[in-house]
Amino acid sequence: MESVGLSTSARERWRAHRLDASALLRAGAVGVLLLFVLLALPQLLSLYYIDAMTQVAVYAVVALGLGVLIGRVGLVSLGQTAVLAIGAWVSARLLFATSLPFPVVLLASGVITMVLGTVVGLPALRMRGLYLALITLMLAGAITVVLATVNFPNGGHGFLGYNGNFVHIPSIRRPAIAASDPAFFRYAVVVAAVMFALVLAHVRSRPGRAWAAIRQSEPAALAAGINVTLYKLWAFALASFITGVAGGVLAAAVRHLYSIDFPTQDSITLLAVVLMGGAYSLWGAVIAALLLEFLPALLNNWGVSADWLTIVFGVGVLQVLTTAPRGLAEQVPRDLARLWRLVAGRGRHRPAVGGGAR
Amino acid sequence: MIEVRGLTVRFGGVTSLQDVTVSFARGTCGLIGPNGAGKTTFFNVLSGFVRPSAGSVRAFDTDLLRLAHFRRARWGLRRTFQTEQAIEELSVYDNVAMIHEHSRLSAGSRRRDVLEAIAFVGLDLDPRARVATLGAGQRRLVELARAVVGRPRLVLLDEPAAGLPDEETRHLREVILQIPSHAGALVILVDHDMSLVRACCETTAVLDFGRLIASGPTEEVLRDEQVIRAYLGTEELAA
Amino acid sequence: MPSWQDFQPFIVSGLALGGVYALSGVGLVVLYRATGVVYLAFGAVGAMGALIAWSLINHAAFPDWAAWIVAIVFSAAITLAYGMVFGAALAKREPLVKAAATLGLLLVLFGVMDLLWTSSGGASRSLSLPTDNGGFQVGSVQVVWTQVIAVGIGVAIAAATGAFLRFTKLGTAMRAMANDREITATLGVPVRRVEAAAWLGCGALSGVAGLLLADLVALDATTLTFLVISSLAAALIARLRSIALTFVAAMVVGLVHDLLTPIQSLTNYRDMTPFVLAAVALLLLSQRRVISLSREEA
Repeated sequence: MESVGLSTSARERWRAHRLDASALLRAGAVGVLLLFVLLALPQLLSLYYIDAMTQVAVYAVVALGLGVLIGRVGLVSLGQTAVLAIGAWVSARLLFATSLPFPVVLLASGVITMVLGTVVGLPALRMRGLYLALITLMLAGAITVVLATVNFPNGGHGFLGYNGNFVHIPSIRRPAIAASDPAFFRYAVVVAAVMFALVLAHVRSRPGRAWAAIRQSEPAALAAGINVTLYKLWAFALASFITGVAGGVLAAAVRHLYSIDFPTQDSITLLAVVLMGGAYSLWGAVIAALLLEFLPALLNNWGVSADWLTIVFGVGVLQVLTTAPRGLAEQVPRDLARLWRLVAGRGRHRPAVGGGAR
Repeated sequence: MIEVRGLTVRFGGVTSLQDVTVSFARGTCGLIGPNGAGKTTFFNVLSGFVRPSAGSVRAFDTDLLRLAHFRRARWGLRRTFQTEQAIEELSVYDNVAMIHEHSRLSAGSRRRDVLEAIAFVGLDLDPRARVATLGAGQRRLVELARAVVGRPRLVLLDEPAAGLPDEETRHLREVILQIPSHAGALVILVDHDMSLVRACCETTAVLDFGRLIASGPTEEVLRDEQVIRAYLGTEELAA
Repeated sequence: MPSWQDFQPFIVSGLALGGVYALSGVGLVVLYRATGVVYLAFGAVGAMGALIAWSLINHAAFPDWAAWIVAIVFSAAITLAYGMVFGAALAKREPLVKAAATLGLLLVLFGVMDLLWTSSGGASRSLSLPTDNGGFQVGSVQVVWTQVIAVGIGVAIAAATGAFLRFTKLGTAMRAMANDREITATLGVPVRRVEAAAWLGCGALSGVAGLLLADLVALDATTLTFLVISSLAAALIARLRSIALTFVAAMVVGLVHDLLTPIQSLTNYRDMTPFVLAAVALLLLSQRRVISLSREEA
């Protein structure tokens, strides 16, 4: 057993001091960034980019959901785009059919999506790794077909709320305080921040620790008394909830929803960017969303085809997977995430690894 | 008191355990046998990962097989694995506290119980250190702390000293010797290190090809002809 | 409810579709058994082959048969290249990681296809095989030679592959490797060469499937890329194990899909067929639960 020079109490105090300082620094950095995004960004960007950044806010939450599943629990879902579509559908329906306040609609959309996600997830969670991924792909495919037939609500009547004969299709309403695009962008960022906070709260408490145990080894987790199925379901529920809420924000952002906006390919691209941004860290979700929604807007503006990005994402997947030493839920920061962490000051804080075989 | 009767495990044409009947009375009991004898399968039955084709396990008047695997920890079963299972990204404290938490032990005594377990195994460090920063020996101790925290009834140790240098094995031996008196638990120890088994276990059971071939006081068992033959050709028994 | 007459043409087209699904499904299963990789890029590779053939025929005045050969060779070559580079690099990883990596290949090909063959609004491409002209009559139904070929190839490939795996040395080696690559290697089996054969064979099949589907369904990158999911459904129903079951499942998927066409209330949902069948099969088949402590378990 190694013995370090300092006595226990001295080491304790030293480490406590370091933890507090770095935690405060991080919280401060996040606060400053958030303020900048909320206040300064809308003034600096053109409407075109504000729209793109609103999409970034939406997809950061979706990526976060997938990140929780992959990065924290070790479950791969290839159907998160379908979940987003369901959330958007529910929100659109409620926004047209009722006059419920916008936040209530978001909440309802999150809850309904969560229930659906959990009901579907329950039988699927008995499968491991590969089969779970493939079955989520199957289910997402089924949902995509249904949506293509049923269409998104557009203000029509009936359960489906779709009227194919509209000449002037009504727009999905926005909250009164956030009617303009820049204002809605701020609203979207606030909602996203709340979702991130929700996930952070989970990760730092009991479910987060249980997920860490499950990811490391399911048998060991079971032996520790963790009800693995329950916690996996919880992760599914959380991911579905936040994605459902994101769907609501998306609906109001784009004002008109079409089923071709949710192709199967998007679930695969989402997986790619989440892997590239880093599935484990919460920042990784932001990076993933920037890759997914901001870069294409940028390239589009410069006249470069977004197909190049698709190719880059494909290469990215191959690179991440071949260099990750263990599993898909890789804790070691990936290239971009590594850069980001260095910037946020995390890179320094890893103490020297003790001796002994690993 | 653990009573195993007629335990048989058959899967895919392979019989890992054949009609094993054995009792573990108190203190620390050894479970030895050549590789592939069925020791880990036996532990897996106790943990609930493998459903036996036949047989019963009664532990302290509870029909253990009736409990779902994750409920056995709450009942008081603890287990270590051959590969390290301490969770790297969490701190030592959180690793041990998690067992306490999921065994539904009272939150009021948690901090005390956890720190006591960490001190018991002889881990002298800041419990907030992340396991990822620890060496192999220390990680084994974290697992051991997880195994003794709270008031476990049955502790299964699966090759706890595997891959450790002599010095650390000796320390481990001291700790294991104290578990029954400290935690009031029955310990079953699987290991190939005969000096560890000799030192810690009053009684030992021996498996070979899924069958029980000897059981009783450790010294007698280790001198048993059948046991020696089972290990013939390996240096393990001579250790 | 439509009449028997109405269903008849869809039985034929359903069988033809099923035949191609069978051919693809068998390719997927053989590769999985030999390497542990679920080749999700199967459809994308075949799609690109078909598009290359189209370009050669329409822009480079290649004779049809030459273009098809190029398509099949291309698919085989890309698949083999992927297998030798990434298949090898990821050989020791869990099946989930291996499958996810093929998604990387899928994205790369997808991007390339969209760049080189932009889906220009309006003008759609088509690939026709000479067997489209001519056929015969069965009762009141027109059967086109292409459809016969599709079914025929499906049956032939399934039967031939089944026999190959069981009776030839290479096939037996592949089956052994499915169980344990390391042990098979120690038995003296040239593991790398067997894997290469599996990749090559699967790639060639993807080329053939791509051409047939481009003819029977549509020559469109997205459609063809994601049709692999239907073949995958058949393979999943067979638990990625049995060739015979893959064949049967594929025929069922194809048949059910097309037979739903004349049913007014369900016709819009017929594309769900492979997904629903696979999901149901997987959920039913995973009833018995044994916690596996081995890493080979998918």
